[in-house]
Amino acid sequence: MLAVAADLIREATKRKWFLGLAIAITAVLVTLSLSLRMEVVDGALAATRLFGKLAKNPIQSVDVALRPVFFAVAAVTFYGGSVFGIVACADFAPTLLSPGRIEHLLALPVRRWQLLAGTFLGVLALSLAAALYGSGGLAVLLGVKTGLWNWRLLVAGLLSTVSFAAVYAAMLTAALYARSASVSAAVGFGVFISGIVAGFRHDLIPMFEAGFGRTLFTGYTLIFPRISALAGAAMDIAGNQPLQVRSLWSLLAGVLVFGGGVLTLGIWRFEQKDF
Amino acid sequence: MTRKRLLFLWMAILLLAAGVALMLYGEEPAPVTPEVSVNFPRRLNPEERRRMENRRVLPAAPQPQDDKPRGPERPRDPVLAALGSGKSAVVVEANAIRNSPVGKLLLECILDDSKENPIEELKREAGVDVLQDLDRVALTDDGVIISGHFGNARWDDLFKQRATSGHYGDGATVYHPKATEVNLPDGGRVTRQADSSLATWGGQMVMVGDSDETVRAMIDRVEGRSAVEQPVLNETQTYGEIYGIISADDLAKIFPADQGDLADRFRSIAQRIEVHVDTSSDVGIVADVQGVDTAQVEDLGKSLGAALSVARLGAKEQDEKEMAELLDLAKVRPDGDRFKVEMAIPLEMLEKQLSKCGERRREREERRKKMLQQQGQAATPAR
Repeated sequence: MLAVAADLIREATKRKWFLGLAIAITAVLVTLSLSLRMEVVDGALAATRLFGKLAKNPIQSVDVALRPVFFAVAAVTFYGGSVFGIVACADFAPTLLSPGRIEHLLALPVRRWQLLAGTFLGVLALSLAAALYGSGGLAVLLGVKTGLWNWRLLVAGLLSTVSFAAVYAAMLTAALYARSASVSAAVGFGVFISGIVAGFRHDLIPMFEAGFGRTLFTGYTLIFPRISALAGAAMDIAGNQPLQVRSLWSLLAGVLVFGGGVLTLGIWRFEQKDF
Repeated sequence: MTRKRLLFLWMAILLLAAGVALMLYGEEPAPVTPEVSVNFPRRLNPEERRRMENRRVLPAAPQPQDDKPRGPERPRDPVLAALGSGKSAVVVEANAIRNSPVGKLLLECILDDSKENPIEELKREAGVDVLQDLDRVALTDDGVIISGHFGNARWDDLFKQRATSGHYGDGATVYHPKATEVNLPDGGRVTRQADSSLATWGGQMVMVGDSDETVRAMIDRVEGRSAVEQPVLNETQTYGEIYGIISADDLAKIFPADQGDLADRFRSIAQRIEVHVDTSSDVGIVADVQGVDTAQVEDLGKSLGAALSVARLGAKEQDEKEMAELLDLAKVRPDGDRFKVEMAIPLEMLEKQLSKCGERRREREERRKKMLQQQGQAATPAR
């Protein structure tokens, strides 16, 4: 299973998508490191310059001043990373199942479920690496500039990987029914957007008039992973704010178990499919 | 399907169910919405039916002399008889509202706004205890009809200085205001004569009208000297604590200024609006809107429904929780050539709005009692 995952990672590194992502993240970090000047005096952010322009901010404690930045980084890592992951990883599963390749893989002394699980783990590893590189790089950058080392940004990256796990499980399972990168990406976006809506369900449900419509919406959003709730938790953790969710561990476990359930459905399909 | 494959399927189902349960527990808890038990008045309930039958105290009305087929003759309710056949008439069951939770709150506000107790003042001057003797108040195009137990009322004492009186019909007394002289700012004097009139009937009704003719017409209808072809309100419509017919023009006046288009459409499409309000617990309002053109009425209903939805979303966006809660309980139900608008006002919301009246009044009474006690102590000579 791990060999399958490693093989997938090797293949991904050869692809332009991921090379481009790595270059883009590095470019952003380098640009910020060169252009961002922050004057921190006794733990207070006295002045900020970005590309030479002075930002007019009140003098305040550096962790308070940077809170909006941490929120933004967590949000971009979460949502931006998920969107990029859906687009970039959509064709891994269809490629795995392509004629010629699948027969070769099935001929190896690897169980079918291990092939699928290995592909899944490989994609997760990529997602985790990208999220940690981006959020970790920024945490180091801001730490060097301000003396404030906020490792909570890495937690935001981990949460985004858990969320993407649920989305990719659905994409992988969809590819087993329709071997198409487009269908896989469409299902991924469908689960992603439904997950965002599901996270806000308690705010949206009262907007429906009581009746069949409200019941349908309640039932629909009940089953999807609470992606926006996790994103909100990631931002709260990054900004050192109290969490709005009742239990983050339960939510995380739920999203992971949901992803595992969808993947198991895919394994069930893969086991009976005749190639 | 082999057992191994079935195992995967069952695992998938169990994992999905477990995932949903864990996410349900972990997510932000749903806001607690207070339960609203609204009774929307849609038809006569048994108690209202008994009330309607008990009010048939007048003999049957005379029938018009024509060949049209008529229904069975039966005794009449004097208030409904007096209403006639105008465009609008709304009846308020004052006694029923007085004893409802809403009525108690309203009463506290009425008393709170007055320096002196107006109810006690009226009882002193006219011998009428509004809280005990008043039954119904009917508002019509022509005037106001008040029913109740006015056997102990001293109308002559109340009006002798201010009005002339005369008997009319079988049991009515009509009071017409005397002309009064008014001082003008420039020092001159002018005589003013009010047109309105008041009549009392049989110790159980008081009628106020725009003129003597109006009041006499009401008395004629009650005493059976004139027949009404199409009464504005019939007894099967007497359900709820407030009920009646409102013309489209009158209803259009209550629309907010930014809904002028909707108000104009109401005027042109709606023919009559039948309104019923229940105040037994939370306040439930049902308005049945009827028009001639089915398509236009349906369209109007949809427009009103859309306006309510937009207002609800706007209130949620502006974080106006009470308004959003109110609009959440509003519905439009189309039904052929008519549609019903249902609205509810939770009692809790009314309590929040009106409870301050009662608190202020209780504080004033506390202060007054303390003052009286202090005065009493000061008056008692020291031994």
